[in-house]
Amino acid sequence: MKKIHILGIVVIAVAIGVIIYTLGQNDSYANFSEALANQDTEYHVVGKLDKTIPVQYDPKINADECSFMVIDNKGLEKRVILHKSVPQDFQKSEQIVLIGKMQGDEFHANDILMKCPSKYNDPVKPQI
Amino acid sequence: MEKITYIGEHLWLGNLGNAFVVLSLITALASTVAYFYYSKETLTSEWKKFAGWCFTMHSFAVIGIAGTLFYGLFNHFYEYAYIHQHSNNSMPMQYIMSCFWEGQEGSFLLWTFWNVVLGNILRKTIDAKWEAPTMVMFSLVQIFLASMLLGVFIGDYKLGTNPFMLLRENPELANAPFLQMPNYLAKLDGRGLNPLLMNYWMTIHPPTLFLGFASTLVPFTFAISGLWKRDFTSWQKPALTWTYFSIAILGTGILMGGAWAYEALSFNGFWAWDPVENSSLVPWLVMVGAGHVMIINKNKGGSLFMTHLLSIASFMLVLYSTFLTRSGVLGTSSVHAFTDLGMQGQLVIYVLTFIFLCVILLIHDKLLRVSYIMLSLVMLAFGVVYGYKTVVLLSWIAISFITTIYAYIKFFPKEEEEESLYSREFWMFVGSLVFLLSALVITYFTSIPVMNKLFNTEKAPIKIADYNMWMIPFTIIILILVGITQFFKYKKTDGKVFFKHIRISILLSVVFGLACVIPLYFLRDYEVAKGNEKWTLISYAILFIVGLFAVFANFEYWLRILKGKIRHAGSSIAHIGFAFILLGALISTSKRQTLSINTSNKNVESLGKSFSAQKSLLLTLGDTLPMGNYMVTYTGRERKGIDVYFNTDYFTKGKNGQLEKAFSLTPMIQDNPRMGTASNPDTKHFLSNDIYTHIAYGLLSDPKEIKNDAYKEPTNFVGHIGDTIFADNAIILIENITTNVNEEQFAKNDSLLEVTAVLKATDINGKVFYAKPKYILKENVVLPDNAEINELGLKFIFWKINPNEGSIEIQMSEKVNNSKDFIVLEAYMFPFINVLWLGCLIMVIGTVIAIIERRRLNKLTTHH
Repeated sequence: MKKIHILGIVVIAVAIGVIIYTLGQNDSYANFSEALANQDTEYHVVGKLDKTIPVQYDPKINADECSFMVIDNKGLEKRVILHKSVPQDFQKSEQIVLIGKMQGDEFHANDILMKCPSKYNDPVKPQI
Repeated sequence: MEKITYIGEHLWLGNLGNAFVVLSLITALASTVAYFYYSKETLTSEWKKFAGWCFTMHSFAVIGIAGTLFYGLFNHFYEYAYIHQHSNNSMPMQYIMSCFWEGQEGSFLLWTFWNVVLGNILRKTIDAKWEAPTMVMFSLVQIFLASMLLGVFIGDYKLGTNPFMLLRENPELANAPFLQMPNYLAKLDGRGLNPLLMNYWMTIHPPTLFLGFASTLVPFTFAISGLWKRDFTSWQKPALTWTYFSIAILGTGILMGGAWAYEALSFNGFWAWDPVENSSLVPWLVMVGAGHVMIINKNKGGSLFMTHLLSIASFMLVLYSTFLTRSGVLGTSSVHAFTDLGMQGQLVIYVLTFIFLCVILLIHDKLLRVSYIMLSLVMLAFGVVYGYKTVVLLSWIAISFITTIYAYIKFFPKEEEEESLYSREFWMFVGSLVFLLSALVITYFTSIPVMNKLFNTEKAPIKIADYNMWMIPFTIIILILVGITQFFKYKKTDGKVFFKHIRISILLSVVFGLACVIPLYFLRDYEVAKGNEKWTLISYAILFIVGLFAVFANFEYWLRILKGKIRHAGSSIAHIGFAFILLGALISTSKRQTLSINTSNKNVESLGKSFSAQKSLLLTLGDTLPMGNYMVTYTGRERKGIDVYFNTDYFTKGKNGQLEKAFSLTPMIQDNPRMGTASNPDTKHFLSNDIYTHIAYGLLSDPKEIKNDAYKEPTNFVGHIGDTIFADNAIILIENITTNVNEEQFAKNDSLLEVTAVLKATDINGKVFYAKPKYILKENVVLPDNAEINELGLKFIFWKINPNEGSIEIQMSEKVNNSKDFIVLEAYMFPFINVLWLGCLIMVIGTVIAIIERRRLNKLTTHH
């Protein structure tokens, strides 16, 4: 066996390893009902902030916690506890992705990603 | 409907610009054809002349497009959608350039422009033999890029997006009221550049990065010409200088991006494995691999397949990145990808065409080539007519892959002799393979959204920690190879001599490494680490030691083997820089310290279990809290235009315990009417560490500015002597209760009773105030009496005594504007991050030295 063949086998092994690893990752996009069914499994939930209910944030009590209501893509609404300070421009967000787990009836998120309407490139809407 | 005649539009500009766009496309086509015929016939001057003329015309057209767009930007011609969207009247001159490349069309234009510059340098400097085939490929790429700016409809399909589209041609604005006025331009102002991008990084980062992207085209055209002309070696020498150039420029562009993210955006670091960052890193990794196999080929021959594969792959990955970041496919997984401009299909076709072309050129059998072409066309037709796009695409990729392997086995020259384990070429080859493999792993991870689309899955993007976990082993192998490989000679090395040369570096790095690593990772961190974290710490330690080894070994090679000669030291210096970058990244990230952990005693109890995850700190105006080695105080805000600056002072303890001001930081929140708010960090740079802060949460207007002297709803307290009451800005102790009469006197004379509560209020700075509200009972009627502390905006009413419980009741009112201004701050200490920036500098210097030396050697060999 030539050394080049050994290298080839190593390359293939790494490739298989990477694929198995990603397939084994449980992290996936989900909605609240799936997260509710599998408590303590981490999910990425896509949804919208319910802007009719105020965001609760009192930095005097805990600067790293805020709470708000989110409606997921299936229309289910749940209270979310985000273990971070309130994101900038939260009220303007169009879509949010929450990363965390359901605990009881509340979704505990460690991280949040937001899509804001005009962050980078947006269709032209002139104001005069 | 009556057609409106608009006043003041400069339609000639669009016409001129579009003429240039069309001209650039036609000349690119003509130049491709002309160079193709020129390449067929050996050095006929007629085709050469014509082809050269076409490319010159094409260059002229591209510069024309850019010039026209610039003219429009300078003169604020807002009738054009691109100019309206990216510029405005108040745009400072230095940012007009940034407006140019802020959008998709402009950045394509920037790319095309650099291609033209490089193409002209290439065709003037290249050997006559390679001019025609490389320029065919160059012109072919230019056709695709020019088509991106076309913006014409073919049936329902829009080809490209045009920078000279008129604002009123936007279908969304068809019925906009302002377009009903003939003189709409008189009042129209542009929307301006995103103020977030209005800094010097935006003027230097995109041009550098796009020059880097453009530079990957040159090695690609050489390699693909090699396949085409079946001359696998003679292109490599001229291509090597270009490869070095590409490594240096693309590397600089990526690092500028990292520096920008660190300095001006609140990402909390310089690298976040964002798909957009990855898509510039991956081509660079592959290009570094390509450069190294080309060095093997130059010195010893061989590695032919790898040189072709890597040179081609680097450019292909640039194309794939373009698709990833500009097609909208990344969706929610990236913070700064472009949104879909309807070019997804076009970009896919662009990528697939070049794969197709490479496979065809690799096949050197007429029958097989024709069958592959036919099969591809049939599959394309099937996909267009019947759908099943995913299946068709995947099977086509599989067929192309199998064909490539078959073609490699069948048609590609291979080395007879096996490389020795004690040879430089073997380990350089391994290193290049590791670079390619790591690039593929990152590409695979980044492509999860693409796979979701293909397979209808819902996989979440890969996390930063997972990227780190996968990349650390690759990095360790690379750093070991960076250290040892130069000590091997080509072909065969005496094992004993090798170990004799390298043992000092090994010894030094292990001794120094352990001396650093043990206090860094094992004295405290290892004890508290759980499960996988222990392995992470061990991997950090190994990375640190091999990083030091790479530095020592290259330094030793330079001093001992090269005798300190700077001319030959390009590679050693670049390697030292590379190792420094990784060491700096390792230390500053793994030992990053959160300074803004909560230190005010008041809140600790309510935090409970989440206390350990605490990363932001509440600072009230005038408050001084300990943060790391500093005491921090928030001294107020300042508004400059749309930027709100928050002033924070940092103090250190002096010799006699006095606080001494060390420095001030003013992190900023931009209150951006177009983009919303954005937090900009501020960083204090020291030689050995950086103190980095940004505002996690802050009010944009000062609550003090809301003039309101009214009191809030009072709250009632029931208490005894010694009890405390918490106000927003003070702690109040019921210190004493006194009366004007004793019980005996009171019994005798019930006309007047005065009970005084002595309240001691201590504010956050420890200043003490007293309030003495009285409870007055006259002829059995309670007379209300209140006591105020004006300094604190507090009012107390002592209104009830409960003789049975022995308690008193006090109403406290706080003024509305007592809720003091505050900020929520995040602060981190990045230790030794300067090692990373120093490494960048050293690496670029090393690469430039290598380029100069390469050019000198090339000249010498051509003269002899």
